[in-house]
Amino acid sequence: MKQYKLVIVENDEDERFFMREEFEAFEAFDVLGEFVNGDTLFEWLAQNPSDLPDIILSDLNMPGKNGYDIISQIKSNPAYTDVKVIITSTSPVISIREKCLSMGASEYLIKPEIFVDYGQYVKELYRKIDS
Amino acid sequence: MDIGADSVLEGLGEAVLKLDTFGNILYCNQATQIVTNYERSALFGKPIHYLAFDNTDTIKSTYELNAAVSKGKLVVQGWNRRSDGARYWAEMVLTPLYENGEQHTGFACIIRDITERKLEENALLESEERFRLMVEGVQDYSIYMLDVDGNIVTWNEGGQKLTGYTADEIIGKHFSVFYNSNDLSNNKPAIELDTARTVGKYEEEGWRMKKNGSLFWASVVLTALFNDENKLIGFSKVTKDLTEQSIEAATIRQNEERFRMLVEQVTDYAIFMLDEKGRIISWNEGAKRIKGYELQEVTGKYFSIFYPEEEIFNGKPAYELKIARQVGKYEEEGWRIRKDGSRFWANVVITAVYNPDRVLVGFSKVTRDLTERKKAEQIARENSEKYRQIAREMEVINTELSRTNNDLEQFTSIVSHDLQEPLRTVKSFLYLINDRIEKGRIGDIGTYVNKSILAANRMKELIENVLNYSQVSKGQLKTSNLTLNELFDHVLLNLKGTLDTTQAIISVERLDRDAVVGDKVQLTQLFQNLISNAIKFTNGRQPIIRLACTVKDGTTLYSVSDNGIGMDADSTSKIFDPFRRLHEARNYPGAGMGLAICKKVVERHQGRIWVESQPGNGSTFYFTLWETGQKPSTSYEAI
Repeated sequence: MKQYKLVIVENDEDERFFMREEFEAFEAFDVLGEFVNGDTLFEWLAQNPSDLPDIILSDLNMPGKNGYDIISQIKSNPAYTDVKVIITSTSPVISIREKCLSMGASEYLIKPEIFVDYGQYVKELYRKIDS
Repeated sequence: MDIGADSVLEGLGEAVLKLDTFGNILYCNQATQIVTNYERSALFGKPIHYLAFDNTDTIKSTYELNAAVSKGKLVVQGWNRRSDGARYWAEMVLTPLYENGEQHTGFACIIRDITERKLEENALLESEERFRLMVEGVQDYSIYMLDVDGNIVTWNEGGQKLTGYTADEIIGKHFSVFYNSNDLSNNKPAIELDTARTVGKYEEEGWRMKKNGSLFWASVVLTALFNDENKLIGFSKVTKDLTEQSIEAATIRQNEERFRMLVEQVTDYAIFMLDEKGRIISWNEGAKRIKGYELQEVTGKYFSIFYPEEEIFNGKPAYELKIARQVGKYEEEGWRIRKDGSRFWANVVITAVYNPDRVLVGFSKVTRDLTERKKAEQIARENSEKYRQIAREMEVINTELSRTNNDLEQFTSIVSHDLQEPLRTVKSFLYLINDRIEKGRIGDIGTYVNKSILAANRMKELIENVLNYSQVSKGQLKTSNLTLNELFDHVLLNLKGTLDTTQAIISVERLDRDAVVGDKVQLTQLFQNLISNAIKFTNGRQPIIRLACTVKDGTTLYSVSDNGIGMDADSTSKIFDPFRRLHEARNYPGAGMGLAICKKVVERHQGRIWVESQPGNGSTFYFTLWETGQKPSTSYEAI
């Protein structure tokens, strides 16, 4: 099973907790870090240039730098060419999904109904990036 | 011969000689000596040819003597030689003499020196000959002579060329051969001769006929010729073919006529001629139509009658002619006056007109009435202005629509994200609570319930903000005349609790203009949100807030400055988006709607809002009102 290095950007502490639980349980993901917004993510990236994640899984709406900011900042920096940004949100609105993809996001995944349902979500995510 | 006869002979001016039958001189009179310069004695016994130029020519003299005998008289002329060798032109009359009527006894001979007469004759002949040759050689005119009855007696090359008859063919014929049957039946040739006979000359242009029957247009001059005794001896006739010339002239006349008609009938342009002084000498339909004058009313008038008084006073008409004279043309647009005194906007071209010798003979003037065109242009301009106005209005509506569309999208985003998030949280914890109850692990439940309540509260806050925001967006603005001071008082009263807690210092630095027009509720919220942000983002310091209102370039600029945490350049453009929070809710609680509402309020008051800030150095929020579009009817100044 191919291993992927992952960081999670999510401002809701509880949500973050359940996400991490499921990713670690799945065993294909190495969760390098958790961040509350883009600001803290980019601080960490700047400090660890040698250990870049394969995937940034980010919420869209966060105080400070949000999901859109993360996409544009990652995509505009050549140093992060190989880093994929996957946006995750509660919104099923197509125009929002389209906007994210057009800005350079690799995937747009709708969050599960409740935090505790992340098991299925993680499998789906793996299937998408591994194909 | 008796004495009387002798004396007569001796007294004669002519030389009179008596010859024998062989022509030898028997007697000569005194005059012989003068004519021949020989002594009489030297001549006796000499043959008559002794007096001739070649005094050895017996053949000729013998012939002459014989001729005189056979004809009864001989008159000959020829050169004779005098004794001194000089020659003279002699007329010699030889008459044979008979005795008893039958016996030939000799000759009487009379010699006259007619040298002078002969020379004159010759000179005359010569000149007549030259004239004849000249006449005969003339190509372009048929010149010939008629006798008194009208028969042709001479002919020339011009005649042959013109009519096709050679001299042989025509001489002796009556000149009526050149007339057609109609003229002949009218007895025209005879009438012409009569006229010439009576008044000396007949002249006309008319059709004549060639040998081949074709007609030509002829200019004819018939002149009666009289001799010294005033007796009619004939007529000279000079004929010229005008056919070609006539066609050309007719063509030119026709063209001129056509052109004149064309010009006269043009109705869209006033086209007329001025003499070199500027007086009107021609007039066309267009001139009549445009200017209202009839030809007879304007002929001879100066063209300045078409000019407004001040232009005349200004010397404009004369100036225009001067320019046309100098550079050939003068062109302009300007007001002109009709006969009825009304004005029209004219395009005028004055052109100097010269004759073939480059002498100025006048001016042509072409005037067009552009009034209608100017009016049409004006209407077009007005229409275009109207359409531009409509386009501007459409643009405003379009902007409004796209803003509404944007708002709708934002609202969708808000409902799908921001409102859904706390709902998910509540749902998630309810699920967990249920799970724990089922498993009998109720120790966690208190935490989960608390988290659910927090999420529900947050959701309530968000819904209130969304409603607030949509409230600002919707409905009519209730604008009224307000003052900043009353707005500030209201805001400070609303925020009294917070202000007291934080011990914020609020100063009104400058109020260039206290009066403000707007929706009282919305403007209150605008200032309230800005001031409460200024209090909030201070990182625990005592807030110091300055309010100002300055007038710059006619626009009123409002500002709210703080000593807070500030923000980076990236953030300054984002903070006005709905639910945009720069900071974590833990440190700075809020829905992220405050500045979005501010922006909405400002936009509804047709202004702009922006922030100038540096991280750690405080922020100044600026906004304007009524910057674009119409202000409400009540102006600030009126208050």
